[in-house]
This record gives sequence, structure tokens and C-alpha cells, in this order.
Amino acid sequence: MGVINDNISRRKFLSGAFMTLGLGFGLGMLGMRFMQFLSPTIKKQRFEEILVGSVNDMSGDDAVPMEIAGSKILFLKTDAGLAAFSRKCTDLGCLVGWDKSKEQFICPCHQGVYDKNGKNIAGPPPRPLDRFPVVQKGDNIYVKVKVA
Amino acid sequence: METAIEEIKVKSLKDRVIDLIQEDVPDYLNKFVYCMGATPLVLFLVALATGILMTFYYIPYPDKAYASVEAITHDIYLGWFIRGLHKLSVNLMIFTLFLHALRVFITRAYSAGELKWLIGALLLFTTLGMGFTGYALVYDQVSYWGMTVVMNMIEEMPVAGPAMAYLLRGGAEVSEITLLRLYDLHTKLLPVLLILCIAAHIAAIRIIDFAKMKDEKGVHLFYPEHALKVGLVAVGIFVVMVNLVMIFPPAIGQMANPLEVASNVAPPWYFSAVYKWITIAPRQSALFALLLFSALFVLYPYIDRFLVQRGFRMERINIVLGTAAVSAFAALTLWNVLF
Ligand code: FES
Repeated sequence: MGVINDNISRRKFLSGAFMTLGLGFGLGMLGMRFMQFLSPTIKKQRFEEILVGSVNDMSGDDAVPMEIAGSKILFLKTDAGLAAFSRKCTDLGCLVGWDKSKEQFICPCHQGVYDKNGKNIAGPPPRPLDRFPVVQKGDNIYVKVKVA
Repeated sequence: METAIEEIKVKSLKDRVIDLIQEDVPDYLNKFVYCMGATPLVLFLVALATGILMTFYYIPYPDKAYASVEAITHDIYLGWFIRGLHKLSVNLMIFTLFLHALRVFITRAYSAGELKWLIGALLLFTTLGMGFTGYALVYDQVSYWGMTVVMNMIEEMPVAGPAMAYLLRGGAEVSEITLLRLYDLHTKLLPVLLILCIAAHIAAIRIIDFAKMKDEKGVHLFYPEHALKVGLVAVGIFVVMVNLVMIFPPAIGQMANPLEVASNVAPPWYFSAVYKWITIAPRQSALFALLLFSALFVLYPYIDRFLVQRGFRMERINIVLGTAAVSAFAALTLWNVLF
């Protein structure tokens, strides 16, 4: 008697377990697909050289802000020639501005400070400002930026 | 005898629900510090009603969002009043939730009711999430740069951080998709979660029962005594709120400008302490400390039980910890406001 009963309850348990497992798996898959739907695919990005001006335009000592293909850039003469700094703060992504009198980049979000070569000197930023490569061809100046 | 059993069997669902609601409530709820739970509920209802009203005018698109909030604030009849009530009710709700949590913490009312504390913690975090997504929708400078910074903070979190930031942002940069997602969170997902939390919190109190307080034995009826008292408190709060909104009508900051950060992008007061904290402490350890603090907060009833078994006197410890937490919060907030 007992043996028969055991078999039935075991069968019930097994089929129940299978059902639960299957259902859980199915719902899990569905949930994962939903998440994938919500996470946009990362577009392949390529670099392109974009003309920003002639050598004469960029010869001033002042920082020149520009937005090129979505990248916010500050052009500035550094000790090692013209540089194109990304304005994106390396801390949490606010926008840095150029303080002419102090000759520093300042991020107002958490008071991050960079010197004129883009080196982080105070506040939370963990590394220097990113730079975009600057290429000079003849009299023209190009900058290499990511384009979508 | 026979009839009594029959009666129990046929007791309708309605009667059983009434029985559950009508359970006695302890007398100590009459004291001001102990009734800090019903207050945020009243405030939530105000926020819910005014929030629904505003969705009829708000447009969740970068070029339009700020203009629509401005229209609500300045052009639409009584718009300033609705928005003012919404903003104020959320601020007060967060404030009273803090007080409620503090009271439960100091009186150790979470012991023998861990579930209430866990649901309550989820409720608190969801409300803070409502606060963040809410002020992001205004789309002024604080909203835009707040979104940027918070998304990058999430990205810095260990393990799931980058994926979660990507999911919330809908891409690598804050964009119109981000605004739409925060709008969906603020007006759909989070409110549903919040309502579920509130229902579960109240159900847990009814099922587990109110916390037992030493030397507090008396009870009274839920209805009419307690219900009327809560109603009275609600009317009182509402009168104060209407006055506050009229004296301090809601303002709106500068429109979001992705090409320029305003000199002051400090978040609302309830995030001031966290904001100051991540400004002064080294980034990784600051975030780690925040996560650790949240985890300890959520699991505190279990930590308490663990320590009690080892003979610690938790009444004293909780008073010291509570005072320390409040002082730290107040100090960081003041520091942020004054400097
Ligand atoms: S984002 Fe620039 S200092 Fe934090």
C-alpha cells in the first residue's frame, strides 16, 4: 500500500517540478528578451577626420569651444602645441569650462579642476581630460572624432 | 452550537475584510511620534492626484518638456497650485518617511516585524527614486546634469552597473530616450511599485500586528476612533500645505543646456547630503560607502538580532547610531547649502 502511494506522490512531485522548471525557464527567457528589447544595440562607431579651420583661425591663446558630431570639444594651445580636449569631465560626465584667468578647466558639478594641459589637479576627477587627435595638413587643421 | 458553526461558514468576504480592518489599534498611536506612518500615506495620495492631473499637460520630449512645465507653472489655470502641491507633498512625504524610519529605528519597533521593515525600506527607496525621476522631468539645468551624473554613478557601480546605466539611459549618452524612460518610470512603473509596497506594508502591519511597546497596553477601535483621527491629521496637513503653496509658489530653474553647466547644479535637499558626500570623498570609496550604508539599513533588524544574542544593549546603541546618522545628514546638508 505504502509503496504505491509513494509512487503516486513522487510522480506528482516530479511532474510538478518539471512544470515549474519549464514555466520558470520560459518566463525567464521572455523576461531576458524584454530586457534586450529595452537595451539599444551599441552602434559601431568609426573615426573620421573633420576639418575645423585653418592654422590662422586657431592661433589665438583663447580656448575655442566646438561641438563636432556630438562630441563637445575645447581647442587650446598647450605646451605641446594645439590640443583638442573633450569637455566631458572624467569624473561623472559633466561639462568642463575654461577659466581664462586661472588657466584651468573647471567642472562645476563637484569642483573638479584640471590644469591647462588637461591634467586633473583637484577634486574627484580620476584622470586627465580625454583628447582627440589633432592633425595638421598644410594650412588646415583636422580633428579625429567618433561619428555614428 | 450548530448555528454558530454555520455562521462562521457563511461569514461573507465583506465581513471578513471588515474584521481585518476593524482590528484594534494600540493606544500609543495617539502620540504624535508614533503616527508618522499615516502621514506619508496622506501625502502620497495628494502627490498621486496632482501628478495624474499634470500628465494631461506634460510633454516628455526635450524641446517641449521645459516649456510644458513652464506652461503648467505660469499659463494654465491653477497650474502653479497643482504643481506646487505635487512638489510640496513629495518633499513632505520624504521628510515624514525619514522621521518614521527614525522613530522605528530608535524604538526598535522592527524586532518581531522584520517584514514590515524590509517592505518599508523598499518603499523609502522607491520614493527617493520617484523624487529623482520627478525632478529630472522638469528639464532644467539641475534635471539635465543630475541625470548625467546619476547615470554615470550607476555605471560605476560594480557588476550590473554598466548594463543598468545603459538600460536606463537607452544609450551611451543622455538623450530624448532617457527622458522618456524616466517619464515612464515616474508615471507608471514606480507608482505601481509604490502602491504595492504601501499595500504590503499595511497588510503586514495588520497580519503581524503593531509593534509591542513596553508599558503600552491599551487599545482602541480602528473605526471610528482611529480613522477619524487620521482624517483630522489629513485635513490639518492639507490646510498647512495649501498655505505653504500660496506663500511659496513653485519656481522653475534655467532650461537645460547640454552645452553649458550652470554654476550650481545641487539637487533637492533630500539628496544634498549624498551629493556633498560624493563631492568630498574619493569616488570609488564614496559609492561603496553608499551601497554599504543602504545594505546595512535594509538588513538592520537581522543585525540587531545577531547583536542582541551576543549580549549587546541595542537600545543604547540605536540611540547613538540614530543620532550620528541624523547629525551626519544634517551636517552634510548644511555644508552643501551654505558653501
Ligand atoms: S562630474 Fe566633474 S567633478 Fe564630478
